[in-house]
Amino acid sequence: MKIYEIAVKKPVTTALIFIGIIIFGLFSFSRLSVDLYPDIELNMASVMTTYPGASAADIELNITKNLETSLSTVTDLKEITSTSKDNVSLITLEFEYGTNMDEVVNDIRSVLDMQRNNLPEGAESPVVFKFSTEMMPVLFLSARTSGSPQNLYKILEEKVANPINRIKGVAASNIGGAPEREIQILTDPRKTDAYKITDEQIAALIGMDNRNIPAGSMDIGTETYSVRVEGELEESSQLESMVIGSYMGRNVLLGDVATIKDTLKERVTEVKTNGLRSASLVIQKQSGANVVDVVNRINKAMPEIKASLPPDIQIETVLDTSEFVKDSIGSLTETVLLAGLFVMLVVLFFLGRWRASLIIILSIPVSLVAAFIYLMITGNSLNIISLSSLSIAIGMVVDDAIVVLENITTHIERGSKPRDAAIYATNEVAVAVMASTLTIIAVFFPLTMVSGLAGIMFKQLGWIVTIIISVSLLVALTLTPMLSARMLKQQKKGEKRTNKITAAIEKILDAIDVFYAKMLERALRHRTRVLTGAILIFAASLLLLGIVKTDFFPESDNGTINVSVELPVGTRMEQTRKLNDLIYKDWSVKYPEVTTIQSSMGPSDGSNIFMAMSASGTHLISYTIKLTKSSERDRSIFEIGDLMRKDLEAIPEIYRFNVIPGGSGMGMGMGGSTFQVNVVGYDMQDAEMTAGMVRDILKNTKGIRDVALSREDYSPQLQVVFNREKLAMNGLTLAGAATVVRNRINGVTASLLREEGEEYDIVVRSDGKYRTEIEDVKNIMLYNSQGKGVRLSEVGNVVESFSPPAIEHIDRERVIKVTGNIYKRALGDITEEVNKELKKLDIPPQINVQVSGSVEDQKESFADMFTLLLLVVMLTYIVMAAQFESLRDPFIIMFSLPFAFTGVFIALWITGTSLSLIALIGAIMLVGIVVKNGIVLIDYINLNIERGISIKRAVVLGGKSRLRPVLMTTLTTILGMVPMAMGIGEGSEIWQPMGISIIGGLTVSTILTLIVIPTIYASFHARNIRKIRKKGRRRDIIINKA
Amino acid sequence: MKALMIVYNQAHNLLIMEALDKCNVRGFTKWEDVQGRGTFKGEPHYGTHAWPSKNMATLAIMEEEKLQLLLKELQKINDEAEKQGLRAFVWDSQPVI
Repeated sequence: MKIYEIAVKKPVTTALIFIGIIIFGLFSFSRLSVDLYPDIELNMASVMTTYPGASAADIELNITKNLETSLSTVTDLKEITSTSKDNVSLITLEFEYGTNMDEVVNDIRSVLDMQRNNLPEGAESPVVFKFSTEMMPVLFLSARTSGSPQNLYKILEEKVANPINRIKGVAASNIGGAPEREIQILTDPRKTDAYKITDEQIAALIGMDNRNIPAGSMDIGTETYSVRVEGELEESSQLESMVIGSYMGRNVLLGDVATIKDTLKERVTEVKTNGLRSASLVIQKQSGANVVDVVNRINKAMPEIKASLPPDIQIETVLDTSEFVKDSIGSLTETVLLAGLFVMLVVLFFLGRWRASLIIILSIPVSLVAAFIYLMITGNSLNIISLSSLSIAIGMVVDDAIVVLENITTHIERGSKPRDAAIYATNEVAVAVMASTLTIIAVFFPLTMVSGLAGIMFKQLGWIVTIIISVSLLVALTLTPMLSARMLKQQKKGEKRTNKITAAIEKILDAIDVFYAKMLERALRHRTRVLTGAILIFAASLLLLGIVKTDFFPESDNGTINVSVELPVGTRMEQTRKLNDLIYKDWSVKYPEVTTIQSSMGPSDGSNIFMAMSASGTHLISYTIKLTKSSERDRSIFEIGDLMRKDLEAIPEIYRFNVIPGGSGMGMGMGGSTFQVNVVGYDMQDAEMTAGMVRDILKNTKGIRDVALSREDYSPQLQVVFNREKLAMNGLTLAGAATVVRNRINGVTASLLREEGEEYDIVVRSDGKYRTEIEDVKNIMLYNSQGKGVRLSEVGNVVESFSPPAIEHIDRERVIKVTGNIYKRALGDITEEVNKELKKLDIPPQINVQVSGSVEDQKESFADMFTLLLLVVMLTYIVMAAQFESLRDPFIIMFSLPFAFTGVFIALWITGTSLSLIALIGAIMLVGIVVKNGIVLIDYINLNIERGISIKRAVVLGGKSRLRPVLMTTLTTILGMVPMAMGIGEGSEIWQPMGISIIGGLTVSTILTLIVIPTIYASFHARNIRKIRKKGRRRDIIINKA
Repeated sequence: MKALMIVYNQAHNLLIMEALDKCNVRGFTKWEDVQGRGTFKGEPHYGTHAWPSKNMATLAIMEEEKLQLLLKELQKINDEAEKQGLRAFVWDSQPVI
């Protein structure tokens, strides 16, 4: 017994199996976590080696080169880049996507172990970091206070950070910008010199004096007592009266030589939120925890946390990464539902009967729900990719059911009982339905095998559509016949659509049928004209290829702009602060779309790697700007970003700036794309000169913003040069002298003050007044072991100089990267223009200039896509050839492909969308969708010919009778894509090109296919018949001769 | 006794069974999956791609008075769906064993 026969004969079993699938699917759905993208393991690792005291060039030669050479042997390595700075070498290794990073890190470790002996002696062991998305913070909070900032840090730590840390899924929360308490002992060098006391001695004494020492235990009588010496300071004011030595018989107190301040740390990151001094709280999640879950939990705990705070502290959310996730998923869910609604309307329009429409519509939820089961079993989340896949599949799931139901209704109309009709009609179309499903699978299954970045995105798409379509086939072969047998009624003769509306629709559809048949007849009479016309249309559309722009990834508006502003190196904090206030005032008035501006400036005080990796200094300000939702404003982040660029350009003090709409949220189609030109070459001067020329080209190219060189400017420094001979004569060592210099300027942490369980640093350094000019450095007193003091100026000199920049490598060669952000212009166009200009350049020998950045990814992925396209075309051909048992018929059907691409180009051109990776994927999907129409058409024409009808009549009759199913399945697919192509809601921009290209391709190809494919078919078969006739004639001649 | 050979589109399967029961015809032999085409205008029933439908054949043996009743039922079925195809042929039959 066939599967559909069993289904019809056992309706209870069939119904319950599908109810089971739905329940299990809904259960899976409730368990799915929500995320923006499928799990991506970042393909980067880096190796950091410190070699204290070495210059950038030393580091490059002795460490970076050594390690790079050996590290390049690690398997699956794609690119190796490095930065050699003073003291530090940082090598970054990029691997192919999908590489197992745990194995890679092990490989790197063993390579480093081998290299350990070849590194200079003073170098520390190299450290390996594995990058992962887990490191990205999930929530940024800011805390403002109108009261004393003194206690802010402590309050935040106790009342906010600690409770948040206890929440499940939170890995760490770091407080930044909150002034930390510090006890400062600011010595007066003139006084210490007079008393012959050094800062080091003071620090050591404080350390000695601030101690609790257990002294053992004593038995007294019947009990044992422990003995303790309690010497710890109870409060900072005690330091004032601490005796640090004696001079001429009198005690010298600490207060005599230094000012003691119980205050805040000197150099900290200053965070301002909406112009007010605040502290930032950066919360990271544990690896594997779900962003939305974690943030939801934190938000749930927030009211309680806020209630526990003093009334003057306000906590605000600056950036909630889960919000964009939730919005995107929400709008995509709407898209899916809307697509479902459109599909239902089409079905209702064509079938005109409630019962029949209901049967078809039921196949939608049953098939879609299967995708949730797959997602749960594989441990995936509900993300943009999986939801978009649903939206793509929704128009196709009804196709099989429509074909089956249509045949069942035909049988019933011819007088069969619904039960018999269900079985036998399904039997008739089962093979054709399976074949057309297989062509779709032939397109989507290869997507699961794509490698690289695209692979991560399309793996889920491939699996989900394959699964949904397979399930929809199962539904069409079991549930649809079963329901038809139960629900469809036999119609008495003459009793047809009685409803007025349905009758009107029927009239229209009949008219279309007749019109199409007439068109087809005319086309068959003028075959050559039709074919030349078709070829001309296709050729003309190829011309559009020159006009349509190419891009890598569509840009998306996530409501965030990151701005970094750089003042000349060495600018003082006060200046930076002034500028910050100015920019804030300007922007908060100019851009009403902005909800929060958080700025941070000054040196980093972050203890976590995330903060330490970003550049910091007194001359840098970085902004995180949050805007209202993209649907609530007219200007996009890209437009606002560009206006901000103009504002910054107008400020002469700014050395350079970078505006990144969308934030640097790790590529993946978020925000804008970058343009990069690598200037590779060993000679620093030549390279720098070339890079300068490249920068000028980029600056003059339309559509590139924020052009910058990766090699930083030389920064000013004061270099202390000791004369070794003089040092030795004075009994001093270089290291000893250098430490003294460091202690005077940077300070030395003497001890810790313990108060209420908290510890605060006690720092000894020269008073700020004595750290303002070069003379102050020269006047530093150095003491040798005999206690004899020498001024620094006697044993050395202080020279003003510039420190050399960092040296960067790409694939083991020196490089200067010239980078820019792209604004409102297609990547392909810019590349073309820049390449043209670069050719004109007179580049010195040994220097090489290459365009890189997003362009490189684009080239790679586009090449991947074309391979995929070829593979998909071949697979669909195989499936069709097997179905028709012919090599010629699938070849004829394949003629609808060029017109699909014609449609894609036209649609992209009209909407002004550029050909991106996503649009290309849409074009590939078209292969499967478009040939489906051809299959239905040719299959029926073949059938007619087998029934002995002449070719011309077979073609016209076949076309006329298959027009409705073709139009219906096409319209469901097109309308299913419409919500996606309209791009409503957050994050939908990414998939818009796919919707546009599918709609365009499918529309054009269907219209042309309906005329051209039958014409080509007739031409091919007519020749075939002439051949047979010729053979026959020849045989006649032979017979006659004989 | 009369033998009635009914050859019909397999989609009529249930209707024929109902008609036999209705007329109290007990004895019959049935072949599923038979092929054929009509003498004058009946479409072929081959179970192929071009002619996907198939026939069934039932040879029923009954008393003469039941025959007329059954033929009337069959005529009704055929009238309702002429295109499906239903033909009946009658022989005399002698029970031997």
